[in-house]
Amino acid sequence: MTKTEMLDLIARHTREILPGLDAHQFVASDRLADLGANSVDRVEVAMLMQESLGLSVSRVELFGPKNIGELAELFLEKLDAA
Amino acid sequence: MPPKLVVTGMGVISAIGQGKAAFATALLDGRAAFNVMRRPGRQRESAYIGAEIREMAFPPGIARQTLRAASLSAQAALVVLQEAWVEARLSDVDPRRTGLIVGGSNIQQRELTQVHEGYRDCPVFLRPTYALSFMDSDLCGFCTEQFGIRGLAYTVGGASASGQLAIVQSAQAVLANQVDVCIALGALMDLSHWECRSLRALGAMGSDRYADDPTLACRPFDCDHDGFIFGESCGAVVIESLESSLRRGIEPYAVLCGWGFVMDGNRNPAPSLEGETQAIRSALAASGWSPAQIDYVNPHGTGSTVGDETELKALRACGLTDAYLNATKSLIGHGLSAAGAVEVIATLLQMRAGQLHPTRNLENPIDPALNWVRNKSIDHPIENALTLSMGFGGINTALCWRRA
Repeated sequence: MTKTEMLDLIARHTREILPGLDAHQFVASDRLADLGANSVDRVEVAMLMQESLGLSVSRVELFGPKNIGELAELFLEKLDAA
Repeated sequence: MPPKLVVTGMGVISAIGQGKAAFATALLDGRAAFNVMRRPGRQRESAYIGAEIREMAFPPGIARQTLRAASLSAQAALVVLQEAWVEARLSDVDPRRTGLIVGGSNIQQRELTQVHEGYRDCPVFLRPTYALSFMDSDLCGFCTEQFGIRGLAYTVGGASASGQLAIVQSAQAVLANQVDVCIALGALMDLSHWECRSLRALGAMGSDRYADDPTLACRPFDCDHDGFIFGESCGAVVIESLESSLRRGIEPYAVLCGWGFVMDGNRNPAPSLEGETQAIRSALAASGWSPAQIDYVNPHGTGSTVGDETELKALRACGLTDAYLNATKSLIGHGLSAAGAVEVIATLLQMRAGQLHPTRNLENPIDPALNWVRNKSIDHPIENALTLSMGFGGINTALCWRRA
């Protein structure tokens, strides 16, 4: 899976949680909080990602990424290690 | 003198219509919408007859994001509160003096079942929002956020009397000066196939004898009744003092003159003639009414064989033999937690219309001498009405309403 594909998956799940972002063009520097995702929305996106990828990532590790680009990288690393 | 309590706003949704205008028209036309229930999570091996809400219109400006994480019960609460809120002009009331009491407990069973069954094999991916939504009090959080309510909000459970109990609690919150305005919500009870199965096994829910013609299944007070038929509904009733309503220039629907609230001391679903009679007598005494003053009774009338019979005996025991009677559940089904509130709304809409709705499938009333509204609506100016609810666990409530 490429980083672009991973970002697309993040964008898809973010739109599921925040349907208002249907027309938003996601970029790696986007921060979920800035897009209007509250703390519950953010853990929902993270859980949908884990479900799609068949991965389980700890809450602590998910605190690290500062934007969706870094989040995509974290998931790519986890996918490689799996 | 305690303040006079009035109803200044109402909102309703049921299988036969959303909004008071559509609901009142459907009631007076005697329309019903019973069929085999199709909502996901409500059938498994057996099919159950009921009345389901086909579509819900949301107020403009509600973000799709808001609705995404809202259960069916929360969505119904939102639309009925919006209707009642606008009618009672609650935006002009101090939010700290506005309250909400949600009638119903364990109301989201179908949603929970869907989550449990969906994640049975992959619990590690369970959606975190389940932690918020599994509690009924999520409706309090959801609705107070949507409407900016800052006074009080909590849930009350009284089984099928929950809706009336919410009205009683709202009245008490206003009388205790906790708030100026309190909205009583009869929450939509969202049954899963598990509850349907157990209620049928218990003999409370009607059997499948009318599977071939679901329109005949719901028959409160008819000799061929054999249990209640479920119907989704939700209603909101705004309670405040007359003085508070006058400050906003609102013309109230009715005055809540008094109520009775009696426990049977009995966990079983069996009704109690003594409890029902006592609740009615307490309500009459609190209102200072004689039985002859009541010209319309909106009974609990579920279609349960013992329940229907006991209720009519209680009416007779209380001298309520001349009042008109119909059965709102014959048209919309039994909303369980919602029923008490929705039937009060049906009562006050009939009061305002000066008409009484028909009772469907009342071919052979178990007590034919009573003053039934049968297959057609009739003109009748209601002055004083009595509404009744009873619930599992031996709860009986009776409310007295006078035309404002």
